Amino acid sequence: MNDDLVAQVRNALREVIDPELGHNIVDLGFIYDITVVDGTAHITMTATTPGCPASGFLKDGAFRSASRVVGIDSVDVLMTFEPAWKPSMIEPATKALLGFP
Amino acid sequence: MIGGNLTKWTMSYFAVAIVWLIIGECLMTIGFGFPFAATEAPDTLFVVHIVCIGWLSMAMCGALFQFVPVLVAKPLFADSWQLPALMLLTVGLVALLGGFMVLGGHLPVWLWLLPTAALLLVAGFGLVVTDLAITIWRARASIGPAYFVIAGLCSLCATAALGSAFAWSLAGLGGASALLRSGIPLHAIAGLGGWLTLTAMGVSYRLLAMFMLAPDLDKRRIRTTLFAGSATIGLVVAGGLFAIAREIGINVVLISAGCLGFITLALYGRNIISLYWRRERAQLELNAKMSAWGFVSLAAAVLLAAVLAISGSFQTHVEAFAFLVAFGWLSGLVLAKLYKIVAFLTWLETYGPVLGRSATPRVQDLVIERRAAKWFVAYFISVWSGTAALLLGQSAAFQVAAFAMAVATLGIVQQLIRTRRLADVTGPLRLPGGSRAPHLLYASI
Repeated sequence: MNDDLVAQVRNALREVIDPELGHNIVDLGFIYDITVVDGTAHITMTATTPGCPASGFLKDGAFRSASRVVGIDSVDVLMTFEPAWKPSMIEPATKALLGFP
Repeated sequence: MIGGNLTKWTMSYFAVAIVWLIIGECLMTIGFGFPFAATEAPDTLFVVHIVCIGWLSMAMCGALFQFVPVLVAKPLFADSWQLPALMLLTVGLVALLGGFMVLGGHLPVWLWLLPTAALLLVAGFGLVVTDLAITIWRARASIGPAYFVIAGLCSLCATAALGSAFAWSLAGLGGASALLRSGIPLHAIAGLGGWLTLTAMGVSYRLLAMFMLAPDLDKRRIRTTLFAGSATIGLVVAGGLFAIAREIGINVVLISAGCLGFITLALYGRNIISLYWRRERAQLELNAKMSAWGFVSLAAAVLLAAVLAISGSFQTHVEAFAFLVAFGWLSGLVLAKLYKIVAFLTWLETYGPVLGRSATPRVQDLVIERRAAKWFVAYFISVWSGTAALLLGQSAAFQVAAFAMAVATLGIVQQLIRTRRLADVTGPLRLPGGSRAPHLLYASI
């Protein structure tokens, strides 16, 4: 049940795209961790660079999309830059689409 | 704060800056100022200050209000200072231009205009410098791109102080005649080389790394370049003032600073090449390609300065060198970055609030690079042609080049307006539910 909710939250987060790279934040490797405890989704995520003006919007977007999952009562999003995001964290298929080595 | 904020007035700074740029280009087209007047003639100073304060400084201030928080990952110290600063700078510049009109005999002898302009500009730049400096200081950032901004802001203070001394002296209110006689190179180098170039260097490191997904540069490399650049401007200002005070001539200081400046730009060039070389994004966007043309213009300006200095003709052709620095390097880089920044900020303002609620376009969907590219190409070719015309003493050809620059600038501006109006985003993605079309001249936040 819990794994199912985590999967649903992960899927919901695919609605959020990084405006620069144009792909969703899950496939880009921005989502470091998702746990669901007592109906609360805890999401640990990052962005390409600290201080990026988009990072606040990405965090809010993750909050909104996860909040819409049935069975999730509240959402807690933590934005972190430890460890720093690297292009190697991108899913291979997305990396190929982006033309990254 | 981890994420940066959108600043309300950055677009307004950009809009005001672009208007001044087009005015400056039109004046050059009709033959106002150099090469139809002497370098130090009031008409030339009129155009020079439109370009340096109206266009370059306004655009730089607008960009810094948005990107210093990105450089230090902290919010701006005082958001509410941006609009008063913009108004003070605009009124101050108009007063300064009025002062030059007085000196040129185009207006009655209202000499009070010059000191008034100095006070207004110092107040406007004072707000900018204080806001940005406190923002950086509070972030306790380690040495990096933000320190270039600090060095640029210190240079801006020196430029403004020297300019104020000139203004008071020209109005007959100060006794800085020796400074007025010999200090203009210090004012110009502190402004173009210190404030505008050092700041552009710092911002370009961060923006290029951010938009090309290049790994941040090694801190030692940044530190070495920063020290060399700061030492260059420090030597020009402090050494120059000392030489003027002792009446020993400033040529030795300028030649020494030129050598140090050459080293600085060589180090910077190496760093920029490294950023392009190590980028993750294989496909370069138009802004990165056109920024590279700006860097090529800087390299060409350095080469030109070296050749002119070796051949002993630098003094004769200093205007061509300054033109290439102002329009090829600084304006080229600023226009290229504006093309990206306007799209990026417009996206954040329009689609950021609905992220996770509706499907949204990408930043790149707000622009059509193929259409903008031809205007950028026309711009750089006309700048390089204008430089050649100045070197060859062909005034009419320079006017043609200035006209071509103005047309190309208008073409680029039209693309910026289309971006701001979301004109190239089609279908339901253009304004998904809950989003609002952005205002052309400021951010609705």
